[in-house]
Formats: sequence, structure tokens, C-alpha cells
Amino acid sequence: MEQIEKISSLCPECLRNISGVKYASDDGKVYIDKECEDHGVFTTLISKDVNHYHQMENFFEVDRASPKNHLGVTEKGCPLDCGLCPSHKQDTCLAVVEVTDRCDMGCTYCFASSLMDDSKDPDMATIRKMFETVKYYSNDPTCVQISGGEPTLREDLPEIIKMGRDLGLTHIELNTNGVRIAQDQEYFDRIIDAGIDALYLGFDGVSDDVYMKRTGKNLFEVKSEVINKCRTAGIGVVLVPLVANNYNLHEVGNIIKFASNNVPTVRGVHFQPVFLSGRSPADQEAKITILDLLENIEEQTNGQLKVEHFTPALMATAQCGATCMTLVEGEGEFLPLTNIEQGSLNTSTDVASKTKKSIMGRWKGSSKNEDNSEAVGSNKCCGNTPLTTVTVPQESSCCRSTTKSNGWAEFIEMSKNRYLTISTMAFQDVWSYEKGRIENCCIHVVTKDGKFVPFCNYNLSSCNGEYLYRDQITT
Amino acid sequence: MDIKKLISKISKVYSMDIKISEEVANLLKDNGLKAEEMEKVIKDAEESGKKLESKDGSKCLAKAEDDNLTCYALYSASNGGFSLDSGYAHKMKMVGPTGGEFNVEAADEADWICKKCNENAIEANVDMTYLGVTRPGNAIVCPKCGDMYLGEDMVPTIKGAEGILEEKRG
Repeated sequence: MEQIEKISSLCPECLRNISGVKYASDDGKVYIDKECEDHGVFTTLISKDVNHYHQMENFFEVDRASPKNHLGVTEKGCPLDCGLCPSHKQDTCLAVVEVTDRCDMGCTYCFASSLMDDSKDPDMATIRKMFETVKYYSNDPTCVQISGGEPTLREDLPEIIKMGRDLGLTHIELNTNGVRIAQDQEYFDRIIDAGIDALYLGFDGVSDDVYMKRTGKNLFEVKSEVINKCRTAGIGVVLVPLVANNYNLHEVGNIIKFASNNVPTVRGVHFQPVFLSGRSPADQEAKITILDLLENIEEQTNGQLKVEHFTPALMATAQCGATCMTLVEGEGEFLPLTNIEQGSLNTSTDVASKTKKSIMGRWKGSSKNEDNSEAVGSNKCCGNTPLTTVTVPQESSCCRSTTKSNGWAEFIEMSKNRYLTISTMAFQDVWSYEKGRIENCCIHVVTKDGKFVPFCNYNLSSCNGEYLYRDQITT
Repeated sequence: MDIKKLISKISKVYSMDIKISEEVANLLKDNGLKAEEMEKVIKDAEESGKKLESKDGSKCLAKAEDDNLTCYALYSASNGGFSLDSGYAHKMKMVGPTGGEFNVEAADEADWICKKCNENAIEANVDMTYLGVTRPGNAIVCPKCGDMYLGEDMVPTIKGAEGILEEKRG
């Protein structure tokens, strides 16, 4: 056994602060062991390959910018009086504003425990205050995700988006299950007119079997319709699959293939491995690590996207997420640009600045005439390919080639409109919780009383379903 | 070559007069290149004969390659000395002919002659690699010695691609 570090964590039973150890076992796996004097020892698998764990750590060289403001006084210390407290080290890259607790989906798993009940939505004045909280705590530019519950259950969502725009938020994306958008064009038009930048679309699979399991509904057609509507409107979409064992892990390759057929409308796929919080699977069997996911992606894309093509996401720590940026050469054919084996460039850019740039740029909508989705798979060059608004120099190698029809000019062209970001984020649950990751977190949920709480803190619940934050604030 | 001729050649090279206009100096600055580097490329090329010469004899193209950068000087004869007409560089490595070998018969003839081999150069695709990505790029190639040069018209494409790859990394 090789100790990696001592950590500060929480008891899964009573949410008490306890300490623990992260270590590599003799079989090369990484675990966290922690002990509560009342509830005993808890062991959690973090990575099944210590070499990959270290490779991610070694690649991760980042600078940090502090939040614009902190809470003045705290008493209990991290994570018990969050908001952001003075021990928080990292500026925001994405602020999550929940505009309702209600949801029409009734998923078997939901970290927010959303239901179609009569709980009270925040009024416009409260939401204004939440947007102002974003401006208070985070440096410009400000990126906001409107979330819930299901935000499209609110009739006044377009007004909410417009208010965010008027308050000067830089980027506003909408987290949605897509049902209302698929069915109600007039409503979608109003959202677009209000100034939405991108959709963050729940998308667990490409077969109805998957949706039936989680929601009891056939939803694949709904999801496809949303993407069609976004293509017409020139709005970018990020597909967001929850991933779990015995659920949809076998579909990750097809999800990526589906995404590749829908670039540039689909800008990325953001996999979220299940974490045990809220209304969640009862046992640990459903959980997968980042490496499990990446290995499945490698296998299911026939080795085109390999584990090594994923580098640490610019998040709190090297273990919080992984990203592969790839060009799409044709249907299910990829040219990955990132590779962990090349080592990192020692950049002096702050985590939040760089991630915000990524959110605003890559995940933003394409202009209508830039969308060449139908051309995906044609793999033609020169006059046969619909040109984007920016033309590539005509001396390009592809045009003069006598032996092969693709080159660096085509590469540049692909980077403009056949670009896909495959990412994953390992949210923490009470089992995997590390205070060090929380203190560096850059995704912050805005509370109705004007605080900023790191996402994993906000959604953390004990193994008995008791939330650390969510219930206290939303009820 | 007898010793007198050699001395004469060396002294000619070392006393070489290389003119760089203000316009070209600004171009070098934009491309992150130094005048001394360009002068060395020209001197080395004149000394070794390793260069391309345009078919009408008016221009020469020479290069110097180290681990991270390949620099090019495009120059012409001027009043017994030389004048630098352009300078550029790329970070990509030219690996070799795309597909393993140059198809000389199918290739277009370039407007250049490899001075060292006295051979007509051709335009051909060569594999160029940078930050883990390899693609074909059009180059000027001597079919005899295999020397590969990037023409100035390809520079915007190659530099654009380098920028995209650098942005995605790290």
C-alpha cells in the first residue's frame, strides 16, 4: 500500500467532518479510507489504475484566480458554512441558477430530488438577486446556467433570460430535458429572442430502452427534435448523459457517434457519472469512475478515442474531470487533438478564465449558414464542401494534392465547424468527498438568499438522503 | 576545389553583404524571427550550395532546421551581395513523403531547382506533424536528395493549424 495523501472528508452517515487517507492498494487501485468514531470505516474506489491517476496529476498544471468576493465571517469552516467562505481558492467558471424545483420527468435517479409538486418557485425579484449574486462573486466574463428542476415549466423563462441579459451576464445556457422545446415552437422562439446562448440537454442514450429505464417514457425522438430545432435556430447544444453501470454505459460510443453526426449544432458531449446523492441508485454498483468511462469510450469507438486522448479538465483538481477535444472527419471518424502523453504546456492562464472561454466559444451556437451537419460523412474537399463564412486560403494542400485529398487546410476548416468536445465530470458524493477538491471548485450554485455554494457541496446528501445544503435552502 | 578557391569562397561568404529592407524587417518581427538568423541561413546556404533556386535564377530559398523550428529565407542577388525578400518559419516537423514515397511522375513540377543536385524540384505532399497530429501538406521537394521546403504560400495555412493545435493543448 502506498499512501498518496491525507484528506479531509465527511462521514456518509452523519456528515461529520472526518479525516481519511487516499492510497494506492497493492493491486494498483486508488481508494479513500475514512473512519467515523460512531459509524466505522468507509472505503471508496477512486481510480482503478494508480498509473492513470498519477498521469492525470502530472499533467495538471494550473494557475488560479480568487473569487471576486468572499463571505465576511465564518464560524464552522469548510464545508459547513459555505457561501463562498474565505478558504475558497477558485473563481467561478460556471454559476448555476435554479429557477424551479419542479420537474415533469420523475426520473428514478435525480441528484436534485426534483418532483412535480407545488413547491414555490423563486419570484423575479429573487432571481434578480441571484443573478446579482453571480456578478458580485465572480469576475467577468460571467457564465450562467439556468437550471432546476426543469426550467421550461416556467412560463416566464424568457423574461428570466432577458433579465439576465439586461443585467449584463455574458453567457446564459439552459439546462433542460427538452420536452417543452420539442413540442412548443412558440415558447422556444421566445427563449431564443430573449437571448439564450446554448442548450445543455439531458441525453442519456440513443435508444428508447435507456429512457424507459430512467423515466418510463420514450424520449429519443424528443431529443432528436430538440436538436433539429436548435440546428434551424443556430443554437449550440451540449448533450449531457448521466452514465451508470447497468443503465447506459454500453451506449457511450453510440452517443458520441450521434453527436459526431450532428456537429456543429452539437458542440459537445458532457458525461456525468452517477453520484450517490438525492434520489439515487441504492447501491455502489451503479457507480463508475472516470477511467471506467474512458475505457468504455475507447472500446466502443473502436479505439478512435483512446483513454490517452483525455486530459484533465480545467476544473478544481486533476481528478474532477477529463476532456478530449476532437475534430470529426466523418461519421464516427475522429481526429483527436488532445493527448495526455504529450505532457502539458505550462500555461499561465487561470482555470476559470480558460474554462469560461471554452464555455462561451465552443459551446455557443453556430450561425445558421455555418451549420454543415448534412455534409458530415461526405469528406469532400475544395468546391464540393459547402464553405463556411471564413474561407481557407486557396493555396491549401488539399486543392493541389496529387496523392491525398486532405491536409492542413482541411484541418483548419474542420476546426471551425466539425469540432466536438467530449468531457466528463466526476461529481463528488458523500463517499468520495474531499475538502481539497471543494475548496478549488469553480462550479457554483447560487442560493435564493444570495450565497454561492460549490456544486458538490450543494448537492451533497448523507447516505440517508439528508442534504448538507439543498433542503435547508430550498424549503 | 583548391585551397585558393576555397579561401576565396569563404572570404566571400564572410564578407557577405545582406540587405534587409524596413518592410522585410517588420515582416521578420511579425514572424518572430531575427535578422541574424536569416543572415546565417543565407550564409550557410551559399557556403554549402544547399538551397532551391528559381528557374529564372532570380530567387533562392534556403532553410535551417532545429528541434523546434524550421526557418526559411527567401532571397535574391543584389549588387554583389544579397537582399532578403522574405523570412518565415514553421514549428511542424516534415516527416517524409505522404504515402511513403514521392510519386515523381504524377507530381507537378515546381518553379524551383535543387541547386545541390541540379535537379528540377516537384510539388508533393509531405507528412507534417505537430503536437501529435500528422497531416499531409504541400511542399517543394527535390526528388533526388529528398530535401523538403515549405513554400511561402503555405505559411498562413500551416501557422493557422499550429495555432489551433496549441490552443487545444494544456
